[in-house]
Amino acid sequence: MSGRDLRLDFFRGLSLFIIFIDHIPENPLSYFTLHSVAFCDAAEVFIFISGYTAALVYGQSLMRNGALLAVAQVYRRVWQLYVAHIFLFVIFTAEVSYTLVAIENPMYAEELGVGDFLTQPHIAVLHALALDFQPPFLDILPLYIVLLAAFPLILLGLSRHLLLPGLVSAAVYALTLRFGWALHAYPDDRVWFFNPLAWQFLFVIGASLGYVRALGHPPYQPPRWIGQAAVTVAGAIAVISLSWTAHWIYDPFPPLFPKLWYFTLDKTSLAPVRLFSILALVMATLHLVAPEAAFLGSRWARPVILCGQNSLYVFCLGIVLSVLGHFVLEELQSGLPAQMAVNLLGIALMIATAALLQWFKTASRRPRAPSVQPAPSE
Amino acid sequence: MRRIFLPLPGLVVALLAAAAIAAPEVNVNCRVPGEILEDDPPLPLTAAKLKAKQPLRIVAIGGASTAGTAAGDGNAYGYPHRLEEALRARHPGMDVTVLNKGVARQTTAQMVERFPGDVFAANPTLVIWETGTVDAVRGIDVDQFAAVLEAGIASLRAHRLDIMLVSMQYNPSSGSVINFEPYLEALRHAADFDDIYLFRRYEIMKYWTETGVFDLADVPKDRRPQFAAEVYQCIGNVLAEAVDYGAR
Repeated sequence: MSGRDLRLDFFRGLSLFIIFIDHIPENPLSYFTLHSVAFCDAAEVFIFISGYTAALVYGQSLMRNGALLAVAQVYRRVWQLYVAHIFLFVIFTAEVSYTLVAIENPMYAEELGVGDFLTQPHIAVLHALALDFQPPFLDILPLYIVLLAAFPLILLGLSRHLLLPGLVSAAVYALTLRFGWALHAYPDDRVWFFNPLAWQFLFVIGASLGYVRALGHPPYQPPRWIGQAAVTVAGAIAVISLSWTAHWIYDPFPPLFPKLWYFTLDKTSLAPVRLFSILALVMATLHLVAPEAAFLGSRWARPVILCGQNSLYVFCLGIVLSVLGHFVLEELQSGLPAQMAVNLLGIALMIATAALLQWFKTASRRPRAPSVQPAPSE
Repeated sequence: MRRIFLPLPGLVVALLAAAAIAAPEVNVNCRVPGEILEDDPPLPLTAAKLKAKQPLRIVAIGGASTAGTAAGDGNAYGYPHRLEEALRARHPGMDVTVLNKGVARQTTAQMVERFPGDVFAANPTLVIWETGTVDAVRGIDVDQFAAVLEAGIASLRAHRLDIMLVSMQYNPSSGSVINFEPYLEALRHAADFDDIYLFRRYEIMKYWTETGVFDLADVPKDRRPQFAAEVYQCIGNVLAEAVDYGAR
């Protein structure tokens, strides 16, 4: 491939920071993240870019190494994600066990019913292994795992015709919205927080654009008029969304189209306005930010890009850090200075980890480079 | 990149120092600042009853924390009864009744189903509706929660009742197990868009935790019913203040 498209790394890195910030409950910084200026949030960005890079990396592998190896590489990645998810689950279990003492107070126990899964740990663990037990904040990796597990099919479709997976995927999305299809989860009558049947559409859109790149074409550039329309739409959405945020912080400020807010709520099934918002953002970004944009090479973009290039580890670290940050804020110290410290420290640790991983990658690649095929970094 | 790493040691020290200072122990003075308590939407029908000194009937419908059984006898120690006492004290000679219609582990939809028998049949002036917890615990879709809440509010409105919404109980630990935030936000938005007085119990209890009025995280086993009774007493007092504010 002729030079990496740093925009992918940059915006994926940014979405990792935002996911960390948004996952700390009642974090004042979360007023300044994507959902304050759009109808969607960082989850949409993350899934879109994941689809794009998956098609780029495994599409190239398909053409170079053939289907068998490409599929094997996909499943090696699925396995890594699965192990990461189970690791996060163990940390979550430790935290819950710790906080259980406070919650078994009848003042809360009666209404929270937290015991439900802790009274049956053997069953809960099996459900966690089967991915259908998704505690808060541990719900996006299962989505990613399922999407990637189905990815060989998407790749196969893309190699037949670029639009084939997109059409099938759009149909599944429409039927899911129409008939309310959902995936069952544990316990009780829950469903998967991120419904894969709906979210696959965004993933496939990303994958289709990424496959264009894998074929050796330059990155997709929307026609001028689409780009300009997207900028206008994304701008209008930003104004509406900002008016809600402003109203939220300062009550007398009038919110624009307040009832529209209800249509942005259905994150589970990727509500159409959310999909519309992320697609407008994507097209606007492609229109405004060129792959060789100067700021991508600047010093301050570097840490963000590093995080985007090591997204799996940094993502998991971000989840762990938001849990720890929440713990510090609730149990030890609250208030604005502590909150800011937790945010800064968390992001600094994410960057430091990404830098360490990057160093490790380059340093261990240096000797005997020609004989070793570098692992695809997706 | 160096610039980013420089302030780190300072931050670590600050964080550790901050963690070392324990919260001060203040005793039960559960008043809260006006900005947490006060909300713009008025309670005109309640105001009219108070002004005319006519009997005022209130229904408190909600879940386990309305039923109040954690304190033992919910009818005596739950917040609805404390609200009744506090309102009577604030308006001497007035006939105030608060009916407790709390049922544990009910979703918002189940409460709306109970409206005809438990709310409309009692013919109250004001309905205090405490909800959201079970929806968050069961992971009901937030958009579904918001829609049911809207429908419930519309149905109460259709019966010409004053409405006050009550948000969830706060607990320093439960945030890691249950993600309350989207449901709280939906509750705030619904109250905001529909112009309903929202009694921000979550923020109030959080304020008590932060100022050391109550240590909600760590209550010895043998003191728990007593503790719950104290919290409900405080909720009742502050709620009475909120009702008076809304009916000013």
